[in-house]
Amino acid sequence: MNPLDLSLRGQAEAVAAGDVDPAELLDAALARVEQRNPALNAVVDTFPERSREMLDAAPAGPLRGVPIVIKDEWPLPWRAQRFGAAELFEPTAPGESGPYRALRDAGAVIVGVGNMHEMGAGSTGNVSVYGPAHNPWDTNRCPGGSSSGPAAAAAARIVAGAVGADGLGSVRIPAAYCGLTGLKPTFGRSTIEGHHMAPVTRTIVSGPLCADAADCRLLGSVLAGEELRAGETSGLRIGIVRDAVSEDVTAEVREACEAAIESLCEATGGEVREVSLPDLDAATIAGILIINGEGLNGVTPERLNRMHPDISPLNRGLAKYRMLLPAAATVQAGRVRTLMRRRLASLFEEIDVIAWPTLPAPAPPLDAPLVELPSGTLTADQANVRGTALANLTGVPGISVPVGLSSTGLPLGLQLQAAWGRDELLLDAAEALERANDRRWVDSRPPLAEVEQTEA
Amino acid sequence: MPVGLPADMEESNPADEFIPAGLAALGIAVDEVDLAVMAAAHQVFWPAIRGLLSLDTAEVEPEPCPDLSRAP
Repeated sequence: MNPLDLSLRGQAEAVAAGDVDPAELLDAALARVEQRNPALNAVVDTFPERSREMLDAAPAGPLRGVPIVIKDEWPLPWRAQRFGAAELFEPTAPGESGPYRALRDAGAVIVGVGNMHEMGAGSTGNVSVYGPAHNPWDTNRCPGGSSSGPAAAAAARIVAGAVGADGLGSVRIPAAYCGLTGLKPTFGRSTIEGHHMAPVTRTIVSGPLCADAADCRLLGSVLAGEELRAGETSGLRIGIVRDAVSEDVTAEVREACEAAIESLCEATGGEVREVSLPDLDAATIAGILIINGEGLNGVTPERLNRMHPDISPLNRGLAKYRMLLPAAATVQAGRVRTLMRRRLASLFEEIDVIAWPTLPAPAPPLDAPLVELPSGTLTADQANVRGTALANLTGVPGISVPVGLSSTGLPLGLQLQAAWGRDELLLDAAEALERANDRRWVDSRPPLAEVEQTEA
Repeated sequence: MPVGLPADMEESNPADEFIPAGLAALGIAVDEVDLAVMAAAHQVFWPAIRGLLSLDTAEVEPEPCPDLSRAP
């Protein structure tokens, strides 16, 4: 078997045991980029000499010799982030971002940079200065965003783990579209050092995208700089919310998520409680307004008038529109943030996790990213953040777990959210769910990523 | 800022005046494509913003310097 078809932890263990030569593993990853990336546009830059230098200097850390793809949102010592755009509003430069340092110190080898939705301003991955990324399950479909390339690369098993960033769902959304497990850690728990918005953001986190929860635990621990210890999940109290976030979804999404919640409940000897969490619509627009306010840092009319001509028309218009957002609404967004944080704090005294569909529908076509929901036709962007913005607004952790395939063969995801600092519980619950369904969904692979039995 | 364009776009709306006037006041240059994008974005955002502003939060005591890494 190609060692790249091992799990992330399997690769790390095989290298540590001397069963796999990490130099060969790196070569295999670069070969996979050559082989699989043309159909995906997931990896937008490789630097074999830099990767080999990382390997040569790799300490005996938990990821020694393991190839990783990192999103084009994190500076590297040899490469400034481009944020999927022709230029950013703030100057960027190569440097040691927190995720880079964490990976380096863990012995990992960065094999490539992952594509992303331009400026992080979309949940589909179909707009980027590099061109759209493609979903490995159906290359005519969106891989999700904004961490489109990391997700597509991990789903295609170019690598077993990738590092994204999540400001309104940008790890969990592509995880759901690509059949991966994606963790949005508690705000501040994973490193965001070196991110160009780090000084101002209270929404963005770094997070892992991997096939399953155990691999997310390993990569998430590296990003957190501490072990996310495994524990027990007996008697899990699962909260469900009857709202658009769980009901204005396709029938297949609803059925898959309800079945998964039932399985998780049975597997943990837990219980499902219907809980009330009003004003989710207000929380969503509050999250959008707050991250847009963060994105205005350093933006001036003069700067907007000098925008690079290759920035997409959509982002050119949106960048200017942001200047008109009313200050009163931003202040109100802060109050809604407080309101929702207090409601969640109270809720998490009664339940352990909130469960609802990560996304209302499977990945839409790249050329028409619309979703058909019971309420009508919406853009994927409009619909997707309804389930993901709350965690960024309030700071709580969230995880998207694969729970099924649509009739068209596209992955479906369930999101679990827990109280601040209970990232480990989410990973424990995700693993319990994997066991409950015999790892059926986390071990599913898109056709182009079937296990290679003959490759050296 | 995930937003995209609305699935159905109205032919005209109040954004036709508000957006160009507001941007002109700020000295921000726009072209027809910019305005079309912004009109579409306005259709998505504005109802939600008005809904947000209409929410009664008078009883919400502000959280000074919220620490998003922990419960309030």
